[in-house]
Amino acid sequence: MKRALWIGLFAVAAVLPLLLDPRGYWIRVLTLTLLFAAMAQAWNIVGGLANQISLGHAAFFGVGAYASTILLVTYGLTPWIGLVVGAGLAAVAALVIAVPTMRLQGHYFALATLAFGEVMRVVANTWASLTGGPVGISITFLPPNPLMYSFKTGLPHAYIALGALALVTLLFEGLRRSALGYRLRAIREHEPAAEVIGIDATRVKLIATVISAAAMGALGTVYAQLALFFDPDTIFGVAPISIRVALIAIVGGIGTAVGPILGALLVIPVEELANDVLSGKAPGLSQLVYGVVLIAVILWRPRGLVTFFTARRTAKPRAPGLVPEGQRTTP
Amino acid sequence: MAIVQAILDGILIGGVYAVISIGLTLVYGVMGIINFAHAEFLMIGMFAAYFAWALLGIDPILAAPLAFATAFVLGWLVQRFLIQRVLAAPSVAQIFLTVGLLIVLENGALLLFGSQFRSVNTPYQTMSLSLGPLFVSVPYLAAFVLSLLSGLALWQFMRRSWLGRAMRATAQNRNAALLMGIDADRMYALAFALGVGLTAFGGAIILPYMTASPTVGGQFVILMFTVVVLGGLGNVLGAVVGGLAVGTIQSLSSLAFPIQLQNLVLFVIFILMLALRPEGLVGSRR
Amino acid sequence: MTRSTTAAGIGATRRTILAGAAAVSGASLLPRRAGAQGAAVNVGVILPLSGANAQFGINSRNGIELVAEEINAAGGIKALGGAKINLVVADSTSTPTTAATVAQRLITQNEVTAILGAFASSLTIAISEVTERRDIPLLTMSFADQITGRGFKNIFQVVAKASAIGKAQFDYTLAIAGAAGQKLGKVAIMYEDTAYGTAQAGGLRAGAKAAGVEIVMDDAYPLGITDATPLINKLRGSGAQAVFPVSYLNDSLLIIRTMRQQRITMPAVGGAAGYVIPDFEKGLGEFAEGVLSIAPANYDYRPELTERFRKKYGYFMVHEALEHAVCLDVLAQAIERAKSAKPEEVVKHLRGARFEGGWAKAMTGDAVQFDATGLNTLSVPVMTQWRKKELVTVWPKEVAKGEAVWEKTS
Repeated sequence: MKRALWIGLFAVAAVLPLLLDPRGYWIRVLTLTLLFAAMAQAWNIVGGLANQISLGHAAFFGVGAYASTILLVTYGLTPWIGLVVGAGLAAVAALVIAVPTMRLQGHYFALATLAFGEVMRVVANTWASLTGGPVGISITFLPPNPLMYSFKTGLPHAYIALGALALVTLLFEGLRRSALGYRLRAIREHEPAAEVIGIDATRVKLIATVISAAAMGALGTVYAQLALFFDPDTIFGVAPISIRVALIAIVGGIGTAVGPILGALLVIPVEELANDVLSGKAPGLSQLVYGVVLIAVILWRPRGLVTFFTARRTAKPRAPGLVPEGQRTTP
Repeated sequence: MAIVQAILDGILIGGVYAVISIGLTLVYGVMGIINFAHAEFLMIGMFAAYFAWALLGIDPILAAPLAFATAFVLGWLVQRFLIQRVLAAPSVAQIFLTVGLLIVLENGALLLFGSQFRSVNTPYQTMSLSLGPLFVSVPYLAAFVLSLLSGLALWQFMRRSWLGRAMRATAQNRNAALLMGIDADRMYALAFALGVGLTAFGGAIILPYMTASPTVGGQFVILMFTVVVLGGLGNVLGAVVGGLAVGTIQSLSSLAFPIQLQNLVLFVIFILMLALRPEGLVGSRR
Repeated sequence: MTRSTTAAGIGATRRTILAGAAAVSGASLLPRRAGAQGAAVNVGVILPLSGANAQFGINSRNGIELVAEEINAAGGIKALGGAKINLVVADSTSTPTTAATVAQRLITQNEVTAILGAFASSLTIAISEVTERRDIPLLTMSFADQITGRGFKNIFQVVAKASAIGKAQFDYTLAIAGAAGQKLGKVAIMYEDTAYGTAQAGGLRAGAKAAGVEIVMDDAYPLGITDATPLINKLRGSGAQAVFPVSYLNDSLLIIRTMRQQRITMPAVGGAAGYVIPDFEKGLGEFAEGVLSIAPANYDYRPELTERFRKKYGYFMVHEALEHAVCLDVLAQAIERAKSAKPEEVVKHLRGARFEGGWAKAMTGDAVQFDATGLNTLSVPVMTQWRKKELVTVWPKEVAKGEAVWEKTS
């Protein structure tokens, strides 16, 4: 049953771009929605499966984007190869950050990744000879050429984003059902017990992080080729990237395959709609409405929109009086 | 001599960073949530002090208690009607609720107050004292003194008063506190309101040299988190130590590194601290 | 249903909130909002109306609305039978991706003839990637060198490039100091590490190198710096005779205040942005008096035009408002010449064209002339100085309205 739903969803998504104006606005919104869903899904691997809330995923995103773009601009290398290079470099970045942080729990990990994302931003901003600095970097204006990832209309971008989403979702599901996934679940349920039965928690989480980072890096290239221009604040940005992808996964339902998709379907169009209808009317109004909607959704469905659809009734939320001890103070 | 000046400047500004960040660590310590919207209350405090100056002619430093009160009330309402509702939800939901709150507060301020940069014009804004070859800026000194005083006041409150001890009890063990007859929900509200109130107080005392605008909070977010982590999440004394540490590091690093990288130095120290001693400089491993 | 503009002044926020709430409930959410093309010409306006640059975005929008009203009151676009200019205003936010999506929306849904925007260079560049590929003209006052440096055909910049502005900032200062009897030998440059600051600093460096003047301090600082003391400590020890800070408002106030606190009296020559808005003077009071700053354009060049802005909005016409006003007027003139609202026709009459009437006169050079890259080659930056709450142009002599006052330092 579930598989039929997924296939149906994919079919709709595959046909939809053909119905839209290929040079138009809606196809761009669709592409961004699909892309952000893919990014959130990549985040979901480490946030949902490994239960490590990362607030610095932009670091991997930016590394991928800069890698492929610099290779394109300097050596004329096709972004398709640049994508793979970017993914690889992002994986390396994940190893670098993992060393000091993999043992950290909960909030500490989140803050460490936040700092790491900012470190990358400052580095990109300062190392102007490599990245162009704060002025940003543009994708070379090329005539349409699929081999060089240059297209005339928005249609191929939409399909690439759809393909990316499908791939990352399959990756997520594959991981979840794999031996690695079971180990991650064991760690999530009770890390000390998992260690006792011989699971190397740090190593397992590390693998998940590296995979997540590589996916994120590849998506950075996809984004760069879509947007055609970016600067350190955009690509390493805490608010536009790191927080947004985590938010999308959480609003949709962290740890589920469909969560990031639901989340993206809510977050991106709502923000766009608010901007469309309200932004010309009063400064800040559209963003305010977007913030209110976010708060409302989180209050209403704190475990994610996916709880709309799951028949499984999650245990009644514990009354605030019975919070387990020592929950917050252990690093 | 440059080093001494740098240390002096670092301590002065560090005191301010401390008072701004104490609230964040207090909220985490008592309630266990990371409040991403915390810096927005700084902005609210700055605006409260600004309007006190612009409409009533009160010096911002004198208006700081007013800023505290405004944020206290607002914080209480926010906690009661928003945060309280997600306390039983996964902590990610809590974190992102505060992200939504950040967006609402920032843009609400933009709508209400407009985008202009509000700066006060105080008689002492360019005054400084000379201690031999060293300069001590008067606005910074005033802010530092007030930070110390408010820090001491908080410390006294937490140690001596019933409410303070009740809050610490709730932070230590909510269940036990409930069993002792403490209204834990009210303690949460108090902690949150107090936390954001102190940050708003900090906003008011830096208004003489900073500029208020709806987005000013964003300039302090990373700084506040760095202070809190350096001192130890949840540790009030740690926030003071962390604040002074961050101020001094920022100041000293400019002697050795390009100023553009001052944040980089901070972040690296931040990450190293988390990696090597996550409980912070002052915290103890539980 | 065409969207009409609201001529919101700075104080009208409450009214607009209520209007917005009412409008939201009645707004049609379906696409295709362009009205019959004959009745109005849709012009897209994409500016940062929220976020850190909201102040500048709102100023710019005010400048555009002023000119739109004037043109419509005078009968609209005569060549199109009196078609009125219809501004479609949207918030770019501070994210370039959103700015580009908004541009796409305006092009597709509102069928705009052209787009004006977006103050910040990164936003403008992001939008230009969309407009260039859709052959829609983009008129801007952003001045990062890249904007006109990519060989794009549909972008038009009404002010000089950042490197030129930076160089002028230096060269004029040298001249002013020289006229006051001081030969500058050592200078300091400090700039925030954004596109604007970095680009202009490059121009300053080039100017100093060409003049053989030693740069004893050359420091970038992070945007959003909360404490300028380390910067000023370094300045004090550098031995500079003049300092060139390039900042937005928060840092500009921090820098000047900290300088005065440390009794540093060397002349500060600002790099536009934060140094040339009314909030600068409001914040510093008497300490703003005498501060010099470069600006791409100034309102005292053509008061007969710019005073209308002050009458309507209550503050002097800041340069971003002026330049955006020029953008709209030049666009209107191009539409008149093209006798069509089709973007591709309008572009033909913008490329390489010269505009002399209307608001084009408000730019130094008395006209606007776009070259093949889209740059206005006639625009010359001016040096302004704060005099009793007003910005007075003091250099170059040909356009100066007042005598430059330079405080000599040893």
